[in-house]
Amino acid sequence: MAQAGNAAAFERLYRLHNRRVYSLCLRMVGNTAEAEDLTQEAFLQLFRKIATFRGESAFSTWLHRLAVNVVLMRLRKKSATESSLDEMTEPDEESGGPRRDFGMADLRLSGSIDRVNLQRAVDHLPPGYKAVFVLHDVQGYEHNEIAEIMDCSIGNSKSQLHKARMRLRELLHESLRDRAREDRKAAGNAGGED
Amino acid sequence: MTTVACRDFLDRFDSSDSPRNGSPADLSVQAHLRHCPSCRSFVEDLGKIRAAGAQLAASDPEPPARIWFALRAELEKEGLIRDTPSEVPSKSWLAELFSGKFSVLPRPVLAGGYLAALLAIAFGLSGPINSRINRQRWLDGTQSSTEPLSAQLMSAEKASFSSWPASETPVTASLHQNLEIVDNYISLCENSVREDPENELAREYLYEAYQQKADLLAQLNDR
Amino acid sequence: MSTAQFLPLRFNWKTGLLAPGLLLVTSTAVFAHNIEKHFKVEPRSVVTIHNPSGKVVVKAWTKSEVMVIATHTSDKVEVDAEQTGNRVDVMTHQISNSISPEDLRADYQINVPEDAELQIHDDSGEVSVANVLGDMNVETVGAGVDLEDAAGYLTVRTVGGSFQCIRCAGRLEVSSISGSFKLLSLRSYHVHAQTSKGNILLDGEFLPNGIYRLKNYSGVIEVHFSPGDSFDLSATSLKGKVNSQASLIPPAHAHPVSKFGNAILGTFNAGHAKVELSSFDGTINILKRE
Repeated sequence: MAQAGNAAAFERLYRLHNRRVYSLCLRMVGNTAEAEDLTQEAFLQLFRKIATFRGESAFSTWLHRLAVNVVLMRLRKKSATESSLDEMTEPDEESGGPRRDFGMADLRLSGSIDRVNLQRAVDHLPPGYKAVFVLHDVQGYEHNEIAEIMDCSIGNSKSQLHKARMRLRELLHESLRDRAREDRKAAGNAGGED
Repeated sequence: MTTVACRDFLDRFDSSDSPRNGSPADLSVQAHLRHCPSCRSFVEDLGKIRAAGAQLAASDPEPPARIWFALRAELEKEGLIRDTPSEVPSKSWLAELFSGKFSVLPRPVLAGGYLAALLAIAFGLSGPINSRINRQRWLDGTQSSTEPLSAQLMSAEKASFSSWPASETPVTASLHQNLEIVDNYISLCENSVREDPENELAREYLYEAYQQKADLLAQLNDR
Repeated sequence: MSTAQFLPLRFNWKTGLLAPGLLLVTSTAVFAHNIEKHFKVEPRSVVTIHNPSGKVVVKAWTKSEVMVIATHTSDKVEVDAEQTGNRVDVMTHQISNSISPEDLRADYQINVPEDAELQIHDDSGEVSVANVLGDMNVETVGAGVDLEDAAGYLTVRTVGGSFQCIRCAGRLEVSSISGSFKLLSLRSYHVHAQTSKGNILLDGEFLPNGIYRLKNYSGVIEVHFSPGDSFDLSATSLKGKVNSQASLIPPAHAHPVSKFGNAILGTFNAGHAKVELSSFDGTINILKRE
């Protein structure tokens, strides 16, 4: 029906999938204005290309692949230099690649992780890591589905996910240390005032 | 302090892989973790991150309505939408959706995308089965969605048959045979659902059979 | 990185000597084309195989190398293998538009490192994989699939081809329309097997927290268990029979599924694994291992 241009069918398809696509875009770009823009763009591309869908994958997988591509293209345009997808998933040390700093194994992420801090940390992930983390841990896709969406191998998906989680752990620790430092500073200032 | 054993463990540990319980890899992971609080806290941290990720989705806001309005306007501008949508779906909106609008099925496409949407629509109608209102909606929905759907799959099958080469290969013969098997199951399941619309298992079997038919027809069309 | 070794063509004169009139007819049929190629790869390489018809045999070895040996008799197809980065693509190309099923056939023997990821597409013939521990995706129409000592994330789809998996671990998802499945000496923690017309036999370990879902429309689903196993069982056949030799503790509350058809539900020992068996009108047997 949607392929025949029926508006009600388009709207129904949109309503069925918009929440997941919007959630994916929001997690990837971190702000609502851009997420709205990207959601619209993803569905626009979907409806332009719907006649070419041949059913070789699940429809939702196909849609999410379009959405991920739209987001990654936008993120690529935003970065200062043109990067390949490989560069976006294998960042160097300076741009925040995961370092195996074993010393940090001694610091524990105590209690549950604050949602706001986690989202902030996710925002700092390189696009490729972010995509795999959002698709797997946030949206619940399996690795074989992510491999189809991201056009990579299952092994690649798993490896990116592990690296994403390790990088998030480092970022969350940095945030904890920053907060502890501010608390100490505030306590010191308060003592001084007395 | 990081020991050689820790480095070795961290080199091999992959949080994205579910350990096979009782497997040698799992046993060696467990053995190291029993004796190493540092690595234990590392693994626990990764587990917390994974769990926290799952919670993120729950806090996601509903996409604003303006996205659809802007999208619809663009689709109409590009001529991709041919008629205006109804504002409130009526009880028989499914019947309207299907009646006569499938007149020309684009052959390369077949049921894949259509079916996914149709199945989702049909499942969307099935709410808690113990509600009388929902039950009525389900009975209406089942009849109006499955009968036209079945008819459209049949016509897609006939349309595809007409374009196949006269001589069959073992592969296409196998696909045809399996298509007959699935058609038979669809018929059995449809009877079962008609007898007992509350039977979710029967409905599940029916929709899976439709999906199988769609997949087979798509495979046949690809050859 | 690749080394191509082309073996000489072999021409069978014996057949050609039968009669002059037969020479032309038979000579093409007995041409055997072989290629052998070697590719150096890094860990976790990806190997894809697209073969419309024929045998595909994949075995693991200890070298960091992929070796492809391909054989075909017809000159209406061409076999090829090429490498891009850490990925090796093996394919059979159809050169002529009109081609018989016999001409389409190509057979492959491929050796891969044990951590290689495989993607295999073989419509008719046979697919057999042994000792490969990487993830695997196999799709066939009529070709049977045989896996031995495989692990990782295994997904197999056939239309009519049968499936056999011996001593497989990891996660297994297999689906078919009319193929039957035999899952023997299994050590997987997640099994999802669905066929419409075929039979399913599961004989393996039920790992703690493992999930085992078997489903068909008609045919037999048979599961073997030992007294020491521990699982939560839900077995339902809408129109067929369910037989169980397991002494189960019935569930505390009524299960909605048990309203329809014939169902056996309950816990065996501590219920560590989850076993869900479902058939439309087939028979389900849960039998004690001899």
